Amino acid sequence: MIDTIVNALVGLLGEDWRAGLEYITNGKHMAWYASFKFTLIAAVAGAFFAVIFGLLGAAAKQSKFAPLRWIGSFYVNIVRGVPDVLFFIFFPLAFEQTVEYFFSRARCTAEEIANNAGSWPPCDAAQWYLSGNDYLILACVSLGLVYGAFAANVIHGAMISVPKGQLEAAQAYGFTEKQVFWRFKVRQMWVYALPGLSNVWMLLLKATSLLSLLQIADIVLWADRLGAPNYLARAGLVHPDWRWKYYLALFIFYIIMAMISERVFRALQNRASRGMVTVN
Amino acid sequence: MKKILLPLAIAMVAFTGSAVAADKVRIGTEGAYAPWNFMDDKGKLAGYEIDLGMDLCKRAELECEFVVNEWDSIIPNMIAGNYDMIMAGMSVTDERKETIAFSDEYFPADPSRYAAAKGDEFDFDNLKGKNIGVQGGTIQAAYAEETFKENNTIKSYEKPDQSVADLAAGNIDILLADGSFLDPVVEGSGGMIVYVGPNVQIGGGVAIGMRQKDTDLAEKMNAALTEAKADGTVDKLVMEYFKKGPFYTPAEEEKKAAE
Repeated sequence: MIDTIVNALVGLLGEDWRAGLEYITNGKHMAWYASFKFTLIAAVAGAFFAVIFGLLGAAAKQSKFAPLRWIGSFYVNIVRGVPDVLFFIFFPLAFEQTVEYFFSRARCTAEEIANNAGSWPPCDAAQWYLSGNDYLILACVSLGLVYGAFAANVIHGAMISVPKGQLEAAQAYGFTEKQVFWRFKVRQMWVYALPGLSNVWMLLLKATSLLSLLQIADIVLWADRLGAPNYLARAGLVHPDWRWKYYLALFIFYIIMAMISERVFRALQNRASRGMVTVN
Repeated sequence: MKKILLPLAIAMVAFTGSAVAADKVRIGTEGAYAPWNFMDDKGKLAGYEIDLGMDLCKRAELECEFVVNEWDSIIPNMIAGNYDMIMAGMSVTDERKETIAFSDEYFPADPSRYAAAKGDEFDFDNLKGKNIGVQGGTIQAAYAEETFKENNTIKSYEKPDQSVADLAAGNIDILLADGSFLDPVVEGSGGMIVYVGPNVQIGGGVAIGMRQKDTDLAEKMNAALTEAKADGTVDKLVMEYFKKGPFYTPAEEEKKAAE
C-alpha cells in the first residue's frame, strides 16, 4: 500500500522525489510514525489518571476528616516538589520491586530467600516480567500521579471558588452533603479549573517525551535512531548526523499538539460555562 | 470514586500479569552497534549477532527473541531477568566475570583503535589537553580513564552513534572504540575520519553474557557454538559482516589450543 502511495506521489511530483519518498517511508520510518501512538496514549491515559488523582487529592485536601486532609496535602505538596523526570523513573521501578517483594513472600520458600540474600528477586517464581506495554501503563500512572498533584491543587482552588451561595442554596433544597459536593461543587468548579488544567495538560504533554527513559521505543528514541550518523551501507542510507532534522520534526509535532489542545480547551471552557453566569 | 478505581486496578494487574509466563529465551542487544547489531532500513534488528544468535538458538532447539536494551543498563537488566542472554559485542573481562558468566567467544579479541578527524596529529606517548571520547561502561572507557585521565578530558557517551557524531562535529579530538565498530565508520566517512596512533588490545574475545546460575543454558549455547564454529557458519558470518577471518577453522583452533 505504501508503494502505491509513493508511486502516486512520484507521478505527481516527478522522479527526483522517489529516493527521498522511499527513504521516509521505509520500515524504520514507518516504525517511527507508529511510535507516535505511545506518545498519544501516554498523554491521554496520563491525563485521565491525572484528573482522577486530582479529584481525589482535592477531595481529600478539603475533607472534614483530618488524616485524610493530611494525606491530601502531603500528596499535593510532596509530589509537586519532586522533579517529574525523577518520579517518572522512580515510580515504575519502585512499583515493580514492591510487587516482586510480595511475590517473593508468597511464592519463594524460606530456604531460597536465605540462600539468595544478595540477589533480587530471591527465586524465579517471584520474577515479574515487564514488557514495553507494561512499562507504558506504569508510565501513564506515573504521569497521572505527578500531574494529578498539580491538578489537585488547581481543582482544590476551583472548588473554593464556587460561590458559597450556590452550595447553601442546594443544602436548603435538601440535597445531602455528598450530592452537594458532586452535583454542585464539582459540576460548577470546572469553569474555574479548566484554565489551570489546560496548563497542567500542556506540562503533561511535554513530559510524554520522557517515555524513552523507560525503554519504551517512543518517538524520541526512534528520532535518535534515525538521525544517528550511519556509515554502513548494509544498515541503510549512509548519512552524517541528521538528528537535528528529526528533533525538528518532533518540535513541530509538539507545537501542533499544543495548538490543537488550545482549541479543545476553548471548546471545553465554553461547554462548562453553559448556563453559568461568570465574570469572563 | 472507589467503584471506578478498583476495577481499573484489577484490569491493570490482569493486563500486566499476562506477561509473566515467557517461554521464549530472550537475548538482550543494543541495536545501535553496526555491524554487530543494528536497526536496518526495515526497522528490524540485524547484524552479525542477530544472525548468529538465531542460528545458535536453532541448533540448541530454543525459541529465541531479541530485545533492545540500552548499553549502560544491559548487564543489570539481564540480572533482573528482563532477558536471559546478552549478545551486544561484549568483550570478556575479569570485572564482568564477577557479575555474569560468559559463553565461549564468538569473535576473537578485537584491538581497540583511535579515530580522529583527517589532518590532526597526536603524540600518543604524551597526550595532553585532548578531548577523548568513549562509550560509557565499555572496556575502552575504563582504559581511557586509567591511561589519559590526568592530562586530558574523557567524554563518555551513552550511545556509540553519539560518539561518532561528536567526533564528526569536532567536539572531541579522538574517539577510542572497537576496531570492528570503527572500520565501517572510517571507511564510510569518505576520508574525513581516519585512524591515528597505535592499536591497543584491551579486552578478551566477544562472548554471550549469561546469568551465572543458568549453567544449563550456558552448556546448550556452548555446544551450539562449537558446532557452528566446526561447520564454518561462524566464520562465514564474520566474513560477511566484518570482512575478516577465518578465525575458527580446525587449523586455527589447533593453533590456539597449542598456545
